[in-house]
Formats: sequence, C-alpha cells, structure tokens
Amino acid sequence: MYVAVKLEDGKCTGCKLCIFICPEPNVLKFSKEVKKVAVNEGRCKGCGLCVTICPKEALASASIGN
Amino acid sequence: MNKNLFKISPGFEDIMPAEYRELVHDGPYGKNLGVSDLGTFKELLEEHPLCAGCGLALSLRLILASLPNPEDTIIVGSTGCSSLAFPQVGVHNIHSLFGNQNAVASGLKRALKLRFPEKTKDVVAIAGDGATADIGLDMVMHSWFRRENIATIMLDNEAYANTGGQESGMSPQGTVLYMAPKGKKFPKISLPEIAREVGCAYVAVGSPAQPRPLEKMVRRTILVAREIGPTYLQVFCPCPTNYKFKPQETVAKIKQREKEGTFQTREYITLEAQKLLTKLEEGKK
Ligand SMILES: Cc1ncc(C[n+]2csc(CCOP(=O)(O)OP(=O)(O)O)c2C)c(N)n1
Ligand code: SF4
Ligand code: SF4
Ligand code: SF4
Ligand SMILES: [Mg+2]
Repeated sequence: MYVAVKLEDGKCTGCKLCIFICPEPNVLKFSKEVKKVAVNEGRCKGCGLCVTICPKEALASASIGN
Repeated sequence: MNKNLFKISPGFEDIMPAEYRELVHDGPYGKNLGVSDLGTFKELLEEHPLCAGCGLALSLRLILASLPNPEDTIIVGSTGCSSLAFPQVGVHNIHSLFGNQNAVASGLKRALKLRFPEKTKDVVAIAGDGATADIGLDMVMHSWFRRENIATIMLDNEAYANTGGQESGMSPQGTVLYMAPKGKKFPKISLPEIAREVGCAYVAVGSPAQPRPLEKMVRRTILVAREIGPTYLQVFCPCPTNYKFKPQETVAKIKQREKEGTFQTREYITLEAQKLLTKLEEGKK
C-alpha cells in the first residue's frame, strides 16, 4: 500500500503554496488555463507537507493501490 | 551554453527517456524562470531517493529553481544525502571526495576563467554541514581566504544524516544524537559570522520555509561570487529521519526554532556587494 495526496478539485484556488513546499519535483503541476493544481500521484511520497500548508483544505493524504 | 548541445538529434526522439525529452521541451534553460514559476516547467531535479518530507530535498529543489544561469552553472557536490540527489539533477555537476568540494570548485572556476574568458560560468559548491563545517572546513576556509570567485551553499540538517545521524559541528548544543548520547557538548558553529569575518562579500542564512526570500539569497550568493569574491549561504534543512519527527512537520520545525530564537535568517553584505546588488536588482525592475 502506498500513501499519496489527493486533491479535491473544487476547493483549490490555485494559490500554489503546495508547490513551494513539496520536496518532490514535478509532482504538483499548475495549470494556467484552469488556475488550479493537479497531483502526479505516482511521484508523490505522501509526506503530507502540502496538506499542512493548503489554506483551503483541498489536499488530503490517502491510500492508493493495494 | 549552446542549446544544441542537449537538443535531441532528429529521428532519435523516440528512443530518449521521456524525462529527457521533457527537459529539452519544457526545461528552464535560458528562460529566466524562478521559484514563482515552479509547477509550470520541467524542473532541474528529477525523481530522487531522499526520504519523504526531507528538508534538504525541498531546499535543493528551490535552490535549483533559483539559479540565475542554470545552463552555465557547474555545481560541485560532496558525499552526503544530497549526493544521492545529484545524479538526478539537470545541471552540470561534479561529485567530489567528502569535504573537498571547495578545493575542487576553486580549481574548476580558475580553469573555466582561462578556457572561456569571454563567458560567465558560475561555480557553486553545495554540500552538507558535515562536509562544509567539519571535515571540509579547511578547504572551505582557504577558498575564502584566497578570495575565490565561488559560491558556497551549506545544506544544514544539523547532523551527519547520510551515515545514520551522528552529531556534527552544526548540531545545536544539547541535542541527543549518535556520538552524543548525553547531548552535544558544545554550541552550533557560527559559520556565517566566521564567513563574514574572513571576508566573504555576501553571507546569508535562510530556509525553505520562505521560498521567495531563499530564492533571492541564492541569486545574490551566485551573482556576488561571480563579480566580487567568495560568498556563503547556509540553508536550514531539518531532517525528519534522524531528528525523528513526522515528515509533514519539516517546515513547522523551522518556524518553531525561529520562535525559540535558535534559528535566525540573516544577511551580511559588504558595501561593495551592496552596490553591485543595488545596480543589478534595480536593473531587473
Ligand atoms: C573522506 C570521507 N570520510 C567520511 C565519509 C563517511 N561519510 C559519508 S556521508 C558522511 C556525513 C555527511 O554529513 P553531511 O555532510 O552533513 O551530509 P548529510 O548526509 O547530513 O546531508 C560521512 C561522514 C566519507 N564518505 N568520506
Ligand atoms: S495550496 Fe491548496 S488551494 Fe493552494 S494551490 Fe495547493 S491545493 Fe490549491
Ligand atoms: S504529500 Fe509530500 S510528496 Fe506528496 S505532493 Fe504533498 S508535499 Fe509533495
Ligand atoms: S536522512 Fe534526513 S537529510 Fe537524508 S534524505 Fe532522509 S530526511 Fe533527508
Ligand atoms: Mg548534514
């Protein structure tokens, strides 16, 4: 079982704070079109740092795979 | 750097790794991007094996995004946790024997000045606290005494993390670590103040808790080294694995230490460096 962060799309305001706190490169991507972030779950280590900084509670750690 | 050097020859695109193709198409080379643009370009750091929540990995990621001239930067690293990340870095880098990074960087910078007198090549030594303040202190200090045009960046996780968490000169007094079962007996080394006294033109202490100020410090460290003389940046990078806290607490640890007064961001800038920075930073606006 792996832990990765999941994004609740509707809550994200695109403030990018999560992008500046993640120790992993190229995991949280910002889309200029929709002004929101997207998570590359396969590269997330589930550390939870982004969860602690998101002002909108749009991110949560979750189990993925089995 | 001539961009054709890393571009893929026509017909070979499909056999190159996807990560390399992404770097060629969406990498930051020559685009003048920075920390604020993270998330919109292919980063210079690729998937790495450092621990979840590693403060050093976060700092390295921010430092790489802050380089003023990544295509013409050469990083000299040393043994330690960061050396596990450098094979995944899309900037020229050299691994030196533990503690030798500033000696290697000095020679490299001199050789580059001779070989490419008309070009700007930034040489940046990036190493751990053990490599910088303990075992490599001799090489670090002498590169400063000799006024080498190199930038020195310490990734300060306050321990020998890569060998399992022994005390280093940079661990705070009283910390219980391997080799310090009753708590470290002497205070954290004041390397920033030492750097200032021996004549580094720009000295700063920062952390990834403040990404944009850290970016400014990285840029200043490199630009002043380029034009004036040695510079030193110390980046506080808490280590969840050896200091035994949860990976999501890395940035909270920095803020807690700031509150306690045991970590302070600061800058020491000589008059000459201040003049240069004012000129460069005004020019940018
Ligand atoms: C000449 C030499 N001495 C000792 C070692 C063993 N060694 C490897 S990593 C390390 C500690 C690294 O500490 P630091 O520079 O703080 O980097 P960190 O792993 O904490 O990031 C030591 C002592 C070595 N590899 N080479
Ligand atoms: S911190 Fe939260 S609100 Fe801000 S961009 Fe990230 S997910 Fe969206
Ligand atoms: S949980 Fe950690 S690794 Fe995953 S996206 Fe958040 S900060 Fe990055
Ligand atoms: S041991 Fe500490 S410094 Fe090294 S990779 Fe793990 S968290 Fe980072
Ligand atoms: Mg260390």
